[in-house]
Amino acid sequence: MSDHAAVHEHAEEVSIWPAVISIGILFAVPFAFSFHFVYHNGLYAALSLGLGVPMIVMGIVGWVYEALHSEPVAEGLAPPAMGWFILAEALIFLSFFATYWVVRLGAPVWPPEGTVELPKLMPLVMTTVLVTSSFTIHFAEGRLAQGDRRGFINWLILSMLLGLAFISMSAYEWNHLLHEGFTPATNIFGTAFYTITGFHGAHVIVGLGIFTAMLLPALRGQVNEGLVKSGSLYWHFVDIIWFFVVSQVYFWV
Amino acid sequence: MAGVLREWLFTTDHKKVGILYLIGSVAAFAVAGIMALLMRAELSAPGPTITANPSQYNVWLYFHGAAMILGFQIPALTGFLANYLVPLQIGAKDVAFPRLNALSVWLFFAGIILALLTFVLPDPPDVMWTGYPPYSEITQGNTAFYSFTVLLLGFASILGGVNFLTTIAFMRAPGMGWNQLNIFTWSVFAAFILQLIFVPVLGTAVTMIMFDKYLGTNFFDPTQGGDVLIYQNLFWFYSHPAVYVIFLPFIGIVFDIVATFARNRIFNYKMVVYGGIGGILLLAGEVWIHHLYVTGMPDWLRVGQMVTTLMISVPVGLMFIGLVGTLYKGSITFNTPMLYALSVIFLMLIGGLTGIPLAVASIDINLSDSYFIPGHFHYVMAVAGTFAIFGGIYYLFPKMTGRMYNEKLGKTSFWITFVGVNLVFFPMMMAGLEGMPRRYWDYSQFPQVEGLHHLMTAGAVLVAIGFFLALVNWIQALFKGQPAGNNPWGSRSLEWTTASPPQHGNFPEIPMLSKDWSPYAYGSSQ
Ligand code: HEM
Ligand SMILES: [Cu+2]
Repeated sequence: MSDHAAVHEHAEEVSIWPAVISIGILFAVPFAFSFHFVYHNGLYAALSLGLGVPMIVMGIVGWVYEALHSEPVAEGLAPPAMGWFILAEALIFLSFFATYWVVRLGAPVWPPEGTVELPKLMPLVMTTVLVTSSFTIHFAEGRLAQGDRRGFINWLILSMLLGLAFISMSAYEWNHLLHEGFTPATNIFGTAFYTITGFHGAHVIVGLGIFTAMLLPALRGQVNEGLVKSGSLYWHFVDIIWFFVVSQVYFWV
Repeated sequence: MAGVLREWLFTTDHKKVGILYLIGSVAAFAVAGIMALLMRAELSAPGPTITANPSQYNVWLYFHGAAMILGFQIPALTGFLANYLVPLQIGAKDVAFPRLNALSVWLFFAGIILALLTFVLPDPPDVMWTGYPPYSEITQGNTAFYSFTVLLLGFASILGGVNFLTTIAFMRAPGMGWNQLNIFTWSVFAAFILQLIFVPVLGTAVTMIMFDKYLGTNFFDPTQGGDVLIYQNLFWFYSHPAVYVIFLPFIGIVFDIVATFARNRIFNYKMVVYGGIGGILLLAGEVWIHHLYVTGMPDWLRVGQMVTTLMISVPVGLMFIGLVGTLYKGSITFNTPMLYALSVIFLMLIGGLTGIPLAVASIDINLSDSYFIPGHFHYVMAVAGTFAIFGGIYYLFPKMTGRMYNEKLGKTSFWITFVGVNLVFFPMMMAGLEGMPRRYWDYSQFPQVEGLHHLMTAGAVLVAIGFFLALVNWIQALFKGQPAGNNPWGSRSLEWTTASPPQHGNFPEIPMLSKDWSPYAYGSSQ
């Protein structure tokens, strides 16, 4: 019996997944980027990506399952921790917006030369979709609190579909604008437009990743409530940032 | 053997994570220190000496500055010391998210690996630690590696912040109120709030230079409507508070060391915490523009920045009073950690007092980019911080290893280093007054400072010898040191009430504390 306890404690002290994820990031991001953009070596860039991305995915999957099977050190701390994280995230967007405000308010003419007309309808549709998804994930959480796992899964899947729709519309729109010759290099507005919408889109994708990490175990009957609560908190945050993107980038003319 | 290695490398125990941080950051310190020696060798005489290639000097300077701050001091303070001490000081089993903690230390390792690749890359980064455009965007050097190093280390810090703020807020031992925290724990709490707010801004800034250089964006290109000064603002918006990210934990550990070796309560505890630490938190984000005095700006802004910057001396002064008051009427013993802690007070005094004129725009405009600047900031941050970290390592050595270092060697090494740093950095400030510009690889045009440069190079050699002796001491003590017992310093703080080294889970059972318990209850029976 005591033997068993010792083994158990050991298992909790060690985890290889953080190391796997970190080394994966090292390959997938700095190495791949540098090989491609700095040293112009496409083969090595592809190899770095090919090595790094699977490591990251494997690491996250391993981590999620390990977390489901071990006792947390303390219960219920994921949502406040997510709160701190969101503070940091908010500052990233604030920096980009501040940069945008400074160049825009200091510009002699606005919009700068080369800017094309931005669509107005698409961002409104995107807003509707994203706001709806904030509600659906809230409903999912509510279902879970009532012990209705089936309902939770359904609302979660709906939220993910809405998130996917949002990303697809965003990709469609980028594609459209790039074809009209409006690129990040066109002028300072192109720079601001693509980085701000791009960072926001990246956050939506991360949110979808978190949702996937909730969905897959849930389909097999395992739910990590801390992850669900903090994941939906994150999603609401991404939603709120979108209001700034829409009002500052699309509709402030 | 493989089992032991696995247990250490992939550990999620905060004490082992802390020690991994210690190993990584001391390694960064050693390599960055070698860069300092190379710079001092280059500057040992006017004209080219050990290299005839000015960019080579830039690479050394880049690595030295970036690795010392981002790879050594911040990780040693908020990685090693915070990890090792905070859960023990608040009586917790571990941090709130042990696996996330392991992710932090591994991202830190990834950042260190990236930084070390500087030495094998075809075109290494040569952008100093500040990475200012336009140079960083037009240089041959690989600026992407600079950006990614900052991003990886920054990401590690943010995750550390999420973890530690949650831990300190929610995992204190039953009965432990906010006013019963160690000053060190308080300082870590404040430092991580700063990290969470300001690191993302630096991350954004270095991302922008990378995008500009490699993806063709126009953030800092005035011909396309961008603005170079935005970078300087974003950079210093982080990097001034970064000084407090370093300052707060180093003064925090100095408080704990001083209280232990003076056998005294913290003088004016609440004033130190709410006035000192709190005051710095409030002012940290409002003074960054004093780094931009020489750029064009309206006078009201210059004067305003002068006022807020000088105001920082109020909270710092409160801490100073706290330290001196804690020493007053204490029964002081001068062990190695205490020597380091006391020297920090002295170094900070010199660094702090030389900072006051720099806050004054009309003086700073003349001294900006002169050797006075590195002289000043090495005193106030680089050396004071390093001495506090070394004091912390000696202080915790018996706790971490269960063994005692060699006291005599510790003191010898301290004095050699102490003399050395003053020989480097006092003349550095004097050379600045004599007109020596910062970041020059050659001073043939300034014959008046040659003698001072000789002193600096000699001092650097002493510093290297001193630090090397400290390393020898630790390695020797790790294997041959005398058993130290659980509480060799007779401290009242929780970390010393448990075994050395503490078992997994830290305490046989989680301590229950009464309302009048204090980590500094000396002189009262407890
Ligand atoms: C203890 C031995 C040290 C020596 C001998 C030393 C020496 C030097 C020298 C010679 C320079 C170059 C000055 C110039 O060319 O403008 C420099 C710059 C610098 N050092 Fe140190 N240093 C030491 C420790 C540290 C530490 C512990 C830190 C940690 C914060 C540090 C941070 C910096 C920074 C940030 C710069 C400026 C880099 C830049 O201009 O981008 N140094 N140091
Ligand atoms: Cu500053």
